[in-house]
Amino acid sequence: MDKKRLLKDFDLPLLLYLFLIMALGLINLWSASAASGYPFHIKQLQWYLIGTGFMCAACSFDYRKLSNYSGYIYAITILLLIIVMVAGKKVSGSQRWISLGFFNLQPSEPAKLLMVIVISSFLAQEDKEQFGLTDLIKPSLLVFIPFILIFKQPDLGTGLLILIIFASLVYFVRLKWSAFITIFAFLLCAIPLAWKIMKPYQRKRIEIFLNPEADPFGGGWHVIQSKIAVGSGGLYGKGFMKGTQAQLNFLPEVHTDFAFSIWSEEWGFVGAVILISIYFLFLLRCLNIAQNTRDKFGSYLVFGITAMIFWQVVINTFMVLGLLPVVGIPLPLISYGGSSVITTLLGTGLILNVKLRRSLFQGS
Amino acid sequence: MKKSEDKKNNSKIKVFSTKIRLKRFDYKELDQRLRLVTYARLFLFLCFLLICTRLWYLQILKGNQFKALSEKNSIKYIRLQPYRGNILDCSGRLIAGVEPSFNIGIVLKDVKNVEWLIERLAPLLQLSPTDIRMKLVASKNQPSYLPIIVRRDATWEELSKVEARLFELPGVVIEVAPSRQYPFGPVAPHLLGYLGEVSLEQLRQKKFANARPGDLVGKSGIELRHQEELSGISGYKMIEIDARGRLVKVLKIKRPEPGKDIQLSLNLDIQLAAEEALSDKVGAVVALDPRNGKILAMASSPKFDPKIFARGVTKDEWKELNNPLLTPLVNKAIQGQYSPGSTFKIVMASAGLNEHVISPSSTFFCNGSFKLGRRRFRCWKKGGHGQTNLYKALVQSCDVYFYNIGLKLGVDRISKYAKGFGLGEKTGIDIKGEKSGLVPTKNWKLRRFKEPWQKGETVNYSIGQGFLLVTPIQLARLISAVANGGKLFRPEYLLNTEPNLQGIVPVKSWILRTIIPALKGVISDKHGTARICRIEGLEIAGKTGTAQVIKQKKRREDEKMVWRYRDHALFVAFAPVKNPKIAVAVVIEHGGHGGSAAAPVARAVIDRWFKLQMPKPSTIIEQTAQKEKAKVHG
Repeated sequence: MDKKRLLKDFDLPLLLYLFLIMALGLINLWSASAASGYPFHIKQLQWYLIGTGFMCAACSFDYRKLSNYSGYIYAITILLLIIVMVAGKKVSGSQRWISLGFFNLQPSEPAKLLMVIVISSFLAQEDKEQFGLTDLIKPSLLVFIPFILIFKQPDLGTGLLILIIFASLVYFVRLKWSAFITIFAFLLCAIPLAWKIMKPYQRKRIEIFLNPEADPFGGGWHVIQSKIAVGSGGLYGKGFMKGTQAQLNFLPEVHTDFAFSIWSEEWGFVGAVILISIYFLFLLRCLNIAQNTRDKFGSYLVFGITAMIFWQVVINTFMVLGLLPVVGIPLPLISYGGSSVITTLLGTGLILNVKLRRSLFQGS
Repeated sequence: MKKSEDKKNNSKIKVFSTKIRLKRFDYKELDQRLRLVTYARLFLFLCFLLICTRLWYLQILKGNQFKALSEKNSIKYIRLQPYRGNILDCSGRLIAGVEPSFNIGIVLKDVKNVEWLIERLAPLLQLSPTDIRMKLVASKNQPSYLPIIVRRDATWEELSKVEARLFELPGVVIEVAPSRQYPFGPVAPHLLGYLGEVSLEQLRQKKFANARPGDLVGKSGIELRHQEELSGISGYKMIEIDARGRLVKVLKIKRPEPGKDIQLSLNLDIQLAAEEALSDKVGAVVALDPRNGKILAMASSPKFDPKIFARGVTKDEWKELNNPLLTPLVNKAIQGQYSPGSTFKIVMASAGLNEHVISPSSTFFCNGSFKLGRRRFRCWKKGGHGQTNLYKALVQSCDVYFYNIGLKLGVDRISKYAKGFGLGEKTGIDIKGEKSGLVPTKNWKLRRFKEPWQKGETVNYSIGQGFLLVTPIQLARLISAVANGGKLFRPEYLLNTEPNLQGIVPVKSWILRTIIPALKGVISDKHGTARICRIEGLEIAGKTGTAQVIKQKKRREDEKMVWRYRDHALFVAFAPVKNPKIAVAVVIEHGGHGGSAAAPVARAVIDRWFKLQMPKPSTIIEQTAQKEKAKVHG
């Protein structure tokens, strides 16, 4: 193979954005660690390094082989989710982790990426010009099983995220208008039903989101304090390690789901917009790759992974800014967590992989 | 043309990878994809615009406002605890109410040197520094601006000591919190239960949804069972304070909703009489209204002071509460399991008559003992009772008479009637921890011991000894059923619930009518075993029982024995014989004879009930005064 050509097609800007985000994430966690007294930034650096290793591995083979193994990949996903259901570790009511001794794996994180691979492969092989309602039955069933398994942990946020990623992919393979309208009508009818199935704490979160003042000591606390933290940052922020909200422990879980709120508090509007812009550029770059890949599977894969990262960024920032109810969705690479970091970097590795091998198609 | 191009493409791909199946976009699809990606870019852009707008709104537009909030932390939420519901007796007298009490706590956020503070605070509260440290560690997960309570329900002495030094103890706060008060002292603590600091496990349960760490919640008895009704819903106060922590203004108040009151069927007078009579004994008393199964009194002795659980039990108290001989924490009325002794003869007589093994006039000869094979079974009376009929057998509690019936019935027929009278299964009282007792059968013994049932065991069984175990509340329900013509009600402690009829005793109604005169004779006959229980002007029917704790080869005087080997004393009774209104069961652990130890306790209870039947103007005035007081507290 033409190695020079491979190197030429390596997407350096994408990698640059990625490392920038990681650097900012590290700085942010350093501050969060000072607040909690646990060295999250050191641990996170380890995850970054391990994740980068995974990323290199993910672009070292021809990604198209993945499509051949999608059956196995699906089986592994389901297996992981069943293991966590049977033998998982329970933390404050949710059974989300498999204890591996040195590391607690949260299978719902890699499950997102694995499902993107499975669904992309499936849709690429269907090879239809437009998808009708009946064409969606099979892939919906494929998605539904992991969704239920994650929903039962219970982890409503990640479960819904998988559905949203699936919906994004369906958008990308083109859905017939009639099918689109039917699904939309169906979803509208399903909302009251969903309300019924939800666990009391999940319902409470939504109620609290609608009216945080109703329970200022319980769940409403997060939302109120997070908004105060972000808002008090002002234009330039309070400075590194000087965010009073986070440093005085007013704000819980600053290192995970609310990492963006400590960032906004300490670096202000300017810092927050810079971080968001880097994400924006990163995602735009990913979309370019999705557009310029001639292989269907590759294109779908890139779009799916992009959607995965995009939705996590949007949902997490919306939650921190009080635009969405509190759901446990981390901010990719900024929030602390090995499973999430490795998943994101693996995904980016696959995107780079597709870009690398894009030219192999452009012979025509 | 398109087709040919596709072919061309496919052939080229095969050159470098034959295994991988590829689907490529054709040109029409490429156009569409361009459109879709463009829309996606647009959507991406819109979302980031929205985030930036929101950031701008929060940080620039409202930035100063939020800055003020965070810098001075000037808005504080103060949680307003609801008053717990009162627990009232049947006439509305307050058994458990709430009054303000004072807690001393530490706000860690305001403490500079924790160790220094602990050293200063500990002697004032007569706590060891380790105690305080333990409490701080236990609540290390709560936000540092919330006080950690180190002393609940502080005494005036402690309060004044701390208050006087408050200025040199930064971070120490005194807060007012509602706490349970018992105007008549600890009344029926086993039934009412006690309050304690909510546990992490409880916080996860739906029942304790309104509780927050540090709150006092029901831990046992009625307080636990009716936690949701009693607890109420907390409110909050949103206040603005200046940088020095002084109140500027109250922004918003949501008042707490007090818990609902619970009115019990318990009669405070009867309850107090029962507890007084039990005070120097170990045992239990249950008094029921035979007409509907309502509990008039339920006492277990020794009792405990529920308040110590709210403030935290000390090591010595804990040791005392877990004394294995006295078991003060056990509600003996529903958890104590005893051999019923001769009180079981009521069941035996009914069974014998109903199965036509005896008639009311059948007699047996008692010479003081009963021979079965080579074994001899004694009657409690050395010389024997001579020619004995049913009346005499019950009044004088002749054992030999019932040995005869027992052998004629056989174990399983006896057990059928024991179960028919509600023994061997939970009465269903709506509190946790009730025991079911035990009614043995042939099959049960085979399963349990892998040995067949012995005839001698039937003999023992027929005077209520051996494997048979009953709880005081089962006995009370049993004697209620005798009094009310055979109806078994579920015992209820709430005043305003419908009576819950669970079953009818499986004997013909004339049989109970035949037995009652004999039970009356137990008290009124000159040979009766419970003559001590007579009350002038009131007809009482009852039956004594004495349950062996250890096997004895020879009769020994109880007084000479070690306390814990003495017999249990039992007594069941109801009154008045016509239209019964109260039924009582008494068990005194190691009390000796039922007639001498248990009957006087029952007499005290029935006597108090009897006196209440003649209302005096003074009590009415007293009651209204109490009600007023309850209203003020509520």
